[in-house]
Amino acid sequence: MNPEVAPTPSTRVGKRENILVILIALLALCGMADALYLTVEHLTGESVKCTIIHGCSEVLSSSYAVVGGFPLASIGALAYFSVFSLAVLKLFGYKITGVLLPALVGAMCLVSVYLIYLQAFVIHAFCQFCLLSAGITFLLTLLVVVSWRAGSR
Amino acid sequence: MKRLLPFIIIFLVLGVALGSAYYLKRSTNDVKPIANNAGTASTASPGASQANVTPGGVPGAEPAHTLGPASAPAHLEEFGDFECPPCGLLHPILVEMHREFGDRLQITFREFPLVPPHQHAVAAASSAEAAALQGKFWEMHDILYENQKTWHEAFDVRPIFEGYAKQIGLDVERFKQDVNGDAVARRLSQDGIRGHSLGVKGTPTVFLNGREVPFESLPADKLRVLINLELTGGK
Repeated sequence: MNPEVAPTPSTRVGKRENILVILIALLALCGMADALYLTVEHLTGESVKCTIIHGCSEVLSSSYAVVGGFPLASIGALAYFSVFSLAVLKLFGYKITGVLLPALVGAMCLVSVYLIYLQAFVIHAFCQFCLLSAGITFLLTLLVVVSWRAGSR
Repeated sequence: MKRLLPFIIIFLVLGVALGSAYYLKRSTNDVKPIANNAGTASTASPGASQANVTPGGVPGAEPAHTLGPASAPAHLEEFGDFECPPCGLLHPILVEMHREFGDRLQITFREFPLVPPHQHAVAAASSAEAAALQGKFWEMHDILYENQKTWHEAFDVRPIFEGYAKQIGLDVERFKQDVNGDAVARRLSQDGIRGHSLGVKGTPTVFLNGREVPFESLPADKLRVLINLELTGGK
């Protein structure tokens, strides 16, 4: 018979960190769905249509929506998938994710800031799906920072 | 097994994501039949050319602005906005199709000005409809699209459009009155109602013999193939 042991502060931190990592994985999935939708819209040309929802057609048909011949949204989908994969690996105790996850999310956060700058000051139009993606990335950054602090205690 | 579980989860998610993207792309590419509003198609105004009315949806303004005979085997109906850049790009393609297919293709233009985001879209659509009252819709249609970039940035488009009216030989004083008249407003409203009944959400939206043409099929080479398919009965 195993005596029940009261959770120690370190196991409580581990549990909290796991919850944060699960949240990171779920958010990354949301970001991936958003980016995949935008990629399909880009590839089918639907995003180029003029619609009453002002902004998306201007943003997604601009020259900034394509990088090296690939729709920027597809690169975003790949980045979100990488975040999801790293979070899942971290959840299962793979140490390799230690530096990669914060580095990737940090880079995505910087790119999101640049894309918001482009929408506000260069293209002069906002796309709600791009803003949603930026919001998800900022939340991911926050969660990664909190998770890192929880893990370093 | 526990060491493999994360990789199984990752590959499963990748599979679901790629599958969903493929399904989404396929469903967007499918030529969609237009919404069928039973009972409304038969309410076309008396004397309206039935060949001009794409089956399904409520009828738009009649008589519709058409190029090509009503007896043409292929009917293309465009919902357009004169201030929309992609509509401007589609304009020469449709001119080319009209020239190429002649009597075998009828092209109908429906007004679908998007306000917002296009501040001059209604003024442009009204100008085209006012020109139509003097029998020069297509002349105004062409001049508006051909000069889209010029007037799109202008603060006040009225003098520009009056200039176009003069250029195509309209009675400018009558044009100025008609632009703000009820007849023009009614036509814009009727075309808009038809567009909404067909599920039109953006411009350009094109229907070919009653089926929506995906935006990516609007370049000349792809549109030509679709029209030819309609003419040959899909053979």
